[in-house]
Amino acid sequence: MNAIEMRSITKRFGSLIANNNIDFTLKKQSIHALLGENGAGKTTLMNQLFGLSIADEGSILVEGKPFKLEHSPQDSMKKGISMVHQHFMLIKNMSVCENIMLANEDENFPLLNPKQTKERIIQLSKKYHLGVDPNSIIDHISVGQQQRVEILAALYKETKTLILDEPTAVLTPEEVEDLFLILKELKRNGKSIIIITHHLNEIMDIADEVSVLRNGDLIGSTPINEKTSTKELSRLMVGRDVNFNFKKEKTNSIEKVLEIKNLSYKKEHVKLLDNINFNIKKGEIFVIAGVDGNGQKELCETIVGLNKCENGSIFLNQKDITKTNVNHRIKNGISYIPQDRQKSGLVMNWSISDNLILKTYERSPISNKFFVSTKEAQNQATRMIKKFNIKSQDNNDRANQLSGGNQQKVILAREMDRGPALLIASHPTRGLDVGAMEYVRNQMLELRNKGGSVLLISADLEEVFQIADRIAVIFKGKLMGILQPNCGVAKIGRLMAGLDEEEINE
Amino acid sequence: MNKFKNILPPILSIILAFAVGAIILLLSNFNPIESYKSLFNGAFGSAYGFSETLVKMIPILTIALGTSVAFKAQLWNIGGNGQYTLGCISTLIVCVYLPAPMWLKLVIALLLSILVGMIFGGLLGLAKAKLNANEVITTLMFDYIIALFLSFLVYGPLMDPDGHNFPQSKLIEKEVLFDKLMVGTRLHSGLFLALFLVILLFFFWKTKEGFRIKMIGANPNVAKLSGISVNLQIMLTMGISCAFAAIAGYIDVLGIHGRLQDNIAGTLGSVAIVVALLGNLNPIGIIFSAFFFSALTVGGQCMQRFMGVPYSLVTIIQALVIVFVVASKIIVEKRSKK
Repeated sequence: MNAIEMRSITKRFGSLIANNNIDFTLKKQSIHALLGENGAGKTTLMNQLFGLSIADEGSILVEGKPFKLEHSPQDSMKKGISMVHQHFMLIKNMSVCENIMLANEDENFPLLNPKQTKERIIQLSKKYHLGVDPNSIIDHISVGQQQRVEILAALYKETKTLILDEPTAVLTPEEVEDLFLILKELKRNGKSIIIITHHLNEIMDIADEVSVLRNGDLIGSTPINEKTSTKELSRLMVGRDVNFNFKKEKTNSIEKVLEIKNLSYKKEHVKLLDNINFNIKKGEIFVIAGVDGNGQKELCETIVGLNKCENGSIFLNQKDITKTNVNHRIKNGISYIPQDRQKSGLVMNWSISDNLILKTYERSPISNKFFVSTKEAQNQATRMIKKFNIKSQDNNDRANQLSGGNQQKVILAREMDRGPALLIASHPTRGLDVGAMEYVRNQMLELRNKGGSVLLISADLEEVFQIADRIAVIFKGKLMGILQPNCGVAKIGRLMAGLDEEEINE
Repeated sequence: MNKFKNILPPILSIILAFAVGAIILLLSNFNPIESYKSLFNGAFGSAYGFSETLVKMIPILTIALGTSVAFKAQLWNIGGNGQYTLGCISTLIVCVYLPAPMWLKLVIALLLSILVGMIFGGLLGLAKAKLNANEVITTLMFDYIIALFLSFLVYGPLMDPDGHNFPQSKLIEKEVLFDKLMVGTRLHSGLFLALFLVILLFFFWKTKEGFRIKMIGANPNVAKLSGISVNLQIMLTMGISCAFAAIAGYIDVLGIHGRLQDNIAGTLGSVAIVVALLGNLNPIGIIFSAFFFSALTVGGQCMQRFMGVPYSLVTIIQALVIVFVVASKIIVEKRSKK
């Protein structure tokens, strides 16, 4: 009998199909990995199992018995299914024991029994080698320990199936090893585990079986054994036929627009960027490929001027800009399309026209010595809406009334209209429909062909091969190599997984 | 259409608040129509009543303008009382103790009030930006500190030696005080300064600096990426916000009090918060809401005197207005999200 069976699960958000007819089976006492890029539908699928969202179609069986599609997380926990989220659901200024009691209020209702709860925590902690002290305050313990508290909370409820959403994303390498030991111990004790991840080597380390999702489709499931190779896994994740014939004459310019030398960046003593060296030439699209969370965001923010780097220097058009602020860099031609367009790209409850002038409001003709001219802002908006084909009823529509694709176009218009020397675009096509995706890629190519430079952060290999002039692969804050686009998928996949390293000669 | 949408919720809230107030009056055996008539007459029925409404409006309006600046940046400056008091103290010290010609005293007192407000707000902003000290707590706590400091002054070094030991300072000379606008009333020329500040703020929101303050309030992440130093803006915003309240203190000392006395701020600061919110943080809207609240205050006193309706009914109506305004904002927001 299988612990969980999900059959023909389909989930739509508007016109977007997040899960398309997916079959997923979790065998008892096994670890099953869900692999895929961001937005592939992994978390969506698990949310439907746990009860955070409701599947449109399909059926779910728990230990062979049907489980209704429309259920709450409480129902799931009663059936022995627990989920540890990426962001922990713990109350920070309470102790471990208090947090556990909070989640199990009905245990001695209406009274609490801290003594008994503590005993059980200690007993569980010992059994699974969790090393959790019931008296410690959540805020005072490390992220890794907090995660173990979450796991303990699930065990406390006598969970049989544990879902972990990207559990290693927040951990240091040592903590990852500890976590894996714990997971193996759980498995030995009869628990079934689903682990969501996009790290290939983790799967090889720990999983018994892997299912690969891509763009909402299940690409395949395969058991992990001696014969499985990461090469095969990376092909599964990337898998599709890559279209190489997109472009475009070769660039011959040797003029360096951006030059990064020995760049390192630390945050809270963790080295997030490690001695990075590369340069981008005029009229070139330079792609940084890699699995999310390997330092891409930090790299962008350091070049934009949001982070102070620890070491190294940044040159823009041969001028050292390492010590300059964001404003100076904007004025010298750096544009930035941030990854999270709703949080960092747009003021969601402002009008399109105000959003379009966020970086130019200080300049003529939009403002004179003192005042920002609403009229001129409107004129600019009308022009840009037309030029960038933004679909809206009115310049004064608020950003949150637009579709995702049109929101991205507003950002694109703002960042491109200034004629940037360097455009930094972080996952600019993520979550967009095919039309908008194509539009954004074309805009980047057009900028390149006009002599602008683009630094593109992408995890979408199809996109990478379509438009890159050169490709660097980042892994754990280090560049693993700089490749030509004809290097082949397998090579990049290996670098992305950190299995290989290339000599970088720059 | 858009403008109408902004005005409708506060107006509906006021009508609803009066309706609920009427029910309370009925339950307490008062005639609501007569009571409201008396309230209206008290505020508008006579030249004196109307002038009092304007007199009360001046400080409420000025402090509320300052509050609105901070609120626009999502900085919750609720310490209007303390900042008003700082303005009062600065003004009195200059006008009583500085040997200078009359006009110079007026100018220096104004500049000093603004400076003290800016520095005070800037420091609170610095604490917020660098130490993450919550401005709700710091502004509120300083209210107490400043109120006690004022007590110390009027019971101690600034006490009027000829004042029979009353906790108050010397009077400012008559020539320095603002002129009265109407004989037999307290209405003074400070009204023009307050109205000038409204116009000033109205245009301030159209400047580059105004745009920056709105941006850090609307989305600090975006502001940072747009090249704005959010920390500096927090300090500036708090400085400007506090300076308005300090100017209110300047106006009141020279317009009505003429001296310092204990607890000079009363409840102005908390009323100003409500006025700023009811006015939609818009300078023009704030004129109307400040006028409304001060009319309620003046009329409510009249209603108490002539009809025997306790003044607390006014407080209830004020509170109901707030509840309805907040509720309607939430409803409007939810609707627009759909």
